[in-house]
Order: sequence, then C-alpha cells, then structure tokens
Amino acid sequence: MDNLYIVCVDDQRDVLSSLSGDLSPFEDLLMIEECESAREAWDVIESIDQSGDHLAIIITDQVMPEQSGVELLKQLIEDGRFLFTKKILLTGLATHQDTIEAINKTSLDRYIEKPWSSEELHTAIKSLLTGYLLDKGLDYEPYTKILDQQLLLNYLRKTT
Amino acid sequence: MNRSQSVKVIIASIVPIILLILPTTTLGIEGLTIIEHRVIAIFFFAAIFWILEPIPIYATSLLIIFFELIMVSNQGLKMLISSPDPTSLGTPLNYKDILFTFASPIIILFLGGFFLAMAATKYRLDQNLARVLLKPFGQQPKWVLLGIMIITAVFSMFMSNTATTAMMLSILAPVLSLFLPEDRGRMAFVLAIPFAANIGGIGTPIGTPPNAVALKYLTGESAISFGEWMLMALPFVLVLMAFCWILLLTIYPIKTPQISLDMKGTWIRNPKAYVVYGTFALTILLWLTDFVHGMNAYVVAMFPVAIFSAFNIINKNDLKNISWDVLWLVSGGIALGLALESSGLAQRMVDVIPFEALHPLIIIMVITVVAMLMANFMSNTATANLILPLVAALGVALSSLDTFGGSKMIILAVTISCSMGMALPISTPPNALAFATGSIETKHMAKPGVMIALVGMLLNYTLMYLLNLVGFFE
Repeated sequence: MDNLYIVCVDDQRDVLSSLSGDLSPFEDLLMIEECESAREAWDVIESIDQSGDHLAIIITDQVMPEQSGVELLKQLIEDGRFLFTKKILLTGLATHQDTIEAINKTSLDRYIEKPWSSEELHTAIKSLLTGYLLDKGLDYEPYTKILDQQLLLNYLRKTT
Repeated sequence: MNRSQSVKVIIASIVPIILLILPTTTLGIEGLTIIEHRVIAIFFFAAIFWILEPIPIYATSLLIIFFELIMVSNQGLKMLISSPDPTSLGTPLNYKDILFTFASPIIILFLGGFFLAMAATKYRLDQNLARVLLKPFGQQPKWVLLGIMIITAVFSMFMSNTATTAMMLSILAPVLSLFLPEDRGRMAFVLAIPFAANIGGIGTPIGTPPNAVALKYLTGESAISFGEWMLMALPFVLVLMAFCWILLLTIYPIKTPQISLDMKGTWIRNPKAYVVYGTFALTILLWLTDFVHGMNAYVVAMFPVAIFSAFNIINKNDLKNISWDVLWLVSGGIALGLALESSGLAQRMVDVIPFEALHPLIIIMVITVVAMLMANFMSNTATANLILPLVAALGVALSSLDTFGGSKMIILAVTISCSMGMALPISTPPNALAFATGSIETKHMAKPGVMIALVGMLLNYTLMYLLNLVGFFE
C-alpha cells in the first residue's frame, strides 16, 4: 500500500516534538514528518508527491519566520495536487484576521488552539484521515483501526 | 505494488505455472485434451489466488476471464489454440460465451438489486423503514435485540449485507454508550447485526452473491424462481435467527434495564421519493409473482434499472457507486464454471474420480463442510465460485444422489453452507465492520459464530431432507 503522511510544521523544536509524541499512536500506519519551516515542509511535500505517496494531513503553526502557516496552506490548495489534503491550523497566536483568512481562503478543516489536548488532536486526525481516504477513493481497509467509525459506516451504507 | 505483495504474487503463481507447462500426459488423466489441461491450470490459479489473495479477489476474476480468452477461446492466441492434432487439443470455447459472462442474466439480476438498494439509501427508505419497524419492539432490551435482528435480516435480503450492517451499526452506535460499563449485553447487540445480515442474505436469490452463483447452475429442470427460493430459504432463516437470538441472550445477557433507540427522520414526500417507494414494492411483487405474469427474476430486475434511470433517481454519479468489483467477482466465477463445463473437464473429472464408490451422504457432508470452512476464511463468493461448478457437475453425474434430491439439492445445500462464515472478523465484511467498532474481541465473535455455523449446518441438512420429502427437488 502507498504510504500516507502527516506533515507537522512549526518553527519551535519543542512544539514539534510534543506534537509528534502525541501522534505516536498513529505511527504504525502513518508516516509522520516534522518540519521547522514552510520551506522545509515544501521539500518534504515534494518528495512525498514524487514517490507516489499521499499527503493526508498537514498540521501547521501560524506564526513562523519567512512564510506563515496560512500562506503555506494557500499555496498548497493553489497547487492542485493536494486538493484532498486535510489542513489543520495549530496556533496560539493567530490574529482575528489570520483566522478569517484561514477559513475563507484555505478551506481549513480544523482550527486547534495551543495548548492542545491530545484527545482533541486524536479525534481530529481520525476523522480527517477517514475523510481523506474516502474522498480520495483510497483503500481504507488497512487503516480501519484508526478511522472514525461513524463516518466510515455512513460511507459504507452506500455500498451496493 | 510493494515488495511483499510482489513476493506473494510470485509464490501464488508457482503452482499454476508449473501445472501449465507440464506435458499434458504427465497429469495422468486419460484422454485429457490440451484445452482441458489449461482449464485445470486456470482453476488452480483461481483457487490459489482467491484463497491467498495476493491481488484483490475481483482482479483474480478478471484474470480468469482474460486467461480463458487468450488460452482456451476460439479467438485466443493463434499459436496456443491451433494444433496439428485437433483431437489432442480439444474444442476451444466460444469467446463470446466468455465475454457474455459480464452481462449474464445473473449479473443483471444483481444490478437490479443494486439499483433498488441505491435508491432506497438515497431516499432514506431504509432508515425510515428501520425507524418505523423498530418501534413496536419497545424498549425492553431483548425485544429491541430481536427487532434489530429481524430488520437487519429483512434488509439484507434486498440490500448488500455490508450496507445493511453499516446502517444498523450506525443506528446502534449512540445506544452503545448508554450500556452499563460491565454489561456484556453490548456484545450481543454488536454481534446480532452481522450475524443477522449473514443469515438474512440466504433469504432471497439477490441476498448475497453466492446465491447468484448458484442460480447459474440451477438451470433447466432444476431452475428455481425467486418465490421458490424464498419459500425454501425463509424457514431456514427464521429458525436460525431464533437460535441466534436465544444464543446471544444466553452468552451475553443484557443487564441494562432499558434501551431506547432514538431515531429521528421523516419520510421524504416528493414525487421522486414516491416513485422509489412504488418501484421497490412493485419489483418485489413482480419477483414473487412470476407464475402470474411470466417474467422471470432476471427480466423483472430491469424494472428498477429502467425506472430509476428514466426518472433520474439514479444519476450518472450514482452509477459510479455500483460495486463493479462484486459483479465482476461473480462474472469470473461464471466464466470459470463455463470453462469447466464447456471444455468437458468437469465431466471428465467426475468420470475419472470414483465418486460412485462413496456413500452420497458422505459426499454431501464433506462438500458442505468444506464450503462452510472455506467461507469462514475467505470470501463467500469466491468459495461459491470454486465449489459450485464442481458440485454441479457432480450432482448431474452422480445418480446415487438422486434419491436425496440430486443436483438441485446439493447445489442449494452448498450455497447455504457458503453463507455460514460467521466465526471470524475476516469471515465476511459485516463481521469485519462489527469487529471494527472495538466493542468485541475475536473470541467474543468466534464462540457464538462457531455455534451458529454448526447449528446452521444441521439445519441445512434437515431442510434438505424435508424439502426432498415434499418433492421440492423434482
């Protein structure tokens, strides 16, 4: 099966490591990448795309030097290759204006405030991952354990 | 395709390839033609690939059709199907017959069932029916459990077992959290749904794909109508469901005093929805009354297809949701049966192997038990695809079976056995869905699953015995 990736972007090392610690229950089935800047994230995303793998979820901080989180997400949806990728903004410092822009211009899927609870994060990942697999028409069976059961059942109701 | 998958494909291919390149004479079957020899290789390919699943099961089906076209059809590769000695080659199959399996009447029957199910889901007929039908069962847990089982079984007769299970589990999901934490009764509810779906599928010819495969072999004198099938299968479904209900209540007693399934929703009232309700009722009515109007089940299946397409109830986009994999899985099975029969191989195997020496009851027992075991570990449809063509040939050739109901009996007995895969999460998609809820472990499913399968087998034999007494097979 092709690999599914979660890419985490934050300029603070300790945030990244606590984030990937919280994501460790998903490590068996998903690949988790940590990036310290939007530029690094793009390198990772390009290499994921080139190897035929899938960028399922991107989790990004808003306030970062060089490119902000919202700009990164905007660039991502403009790209066209990542239309199905689910986008999470994980931030404590986004201004009102940033938030509006994130919702309106990047079709953001989740806005999670720092500090986050790992339960909230897990629920979000499960449901977004389910959405990604079903939207993209990928085989969901290998991932059943970590999917949102209710979403999956609703989808399977349409099975003929 | 990653590395471990490629390795699996290579390993699974070894036996069929060796079989294929061995000289025909080394197989030790007198008079075996080259075409028959290739069919043997294709059969082994199918068996091994369906059992080990190195590629998806529908892909194996497509490859069967592909290999048949190339290697044993009259339009196959020239160097393969021309021979200086036509008798040693045997008769190639007509390529049209092989390709027709994609649109065989059985496939159309299933397509009709798919259209009904899609429209029912789209216009929430299923959900609303479930809501209305569940009401009379009140709030006492054991009756609610029975209600859920009956509705699941009835729906799975007309919709896919998977979709029915998904719908019922999602109705049940909010209720599960209301159970007392130590109440094992939760497991009774979670298991009741897949079990009832598996059992309910036996109820009609379109209930589950193995039934469709059986129809392919129930032709001529052993042909069976939609109504006759239900007449035969419903008593079986009823008794086994009753057993399943009592068994689940005994193993996982429900301690929670009251369960209320709070289902919201209203009937959709618009012209299109009325067309759906009407067509649903009409189609089932027509299926059951072929003796009045003369249209067989296959022709009737076109009613929903035609009406829903004409009224744009099923649109272009909905067509993409059709499970072509299920249809093609069945097509491959039909093509495999066709090759075994038309090449003359089936007949030859029956002649060569001394089945007459065995007591017919032993043959029936062994075949049905093998089918039941296979169905627990692999796809029910693939099981039916592999076993039924052999059984059909055997049923026709073996005169000692006649006193017990002949080929019709053994085909139906095996078909029912193919739906007795209950024990493991991998046995059927409904089982896998129930397992994925996280409320049960494999052992919780295996214990009642094995018991239901065993009682189901006994019931299966009893049913066949009784049907033979009343002359159903004549």
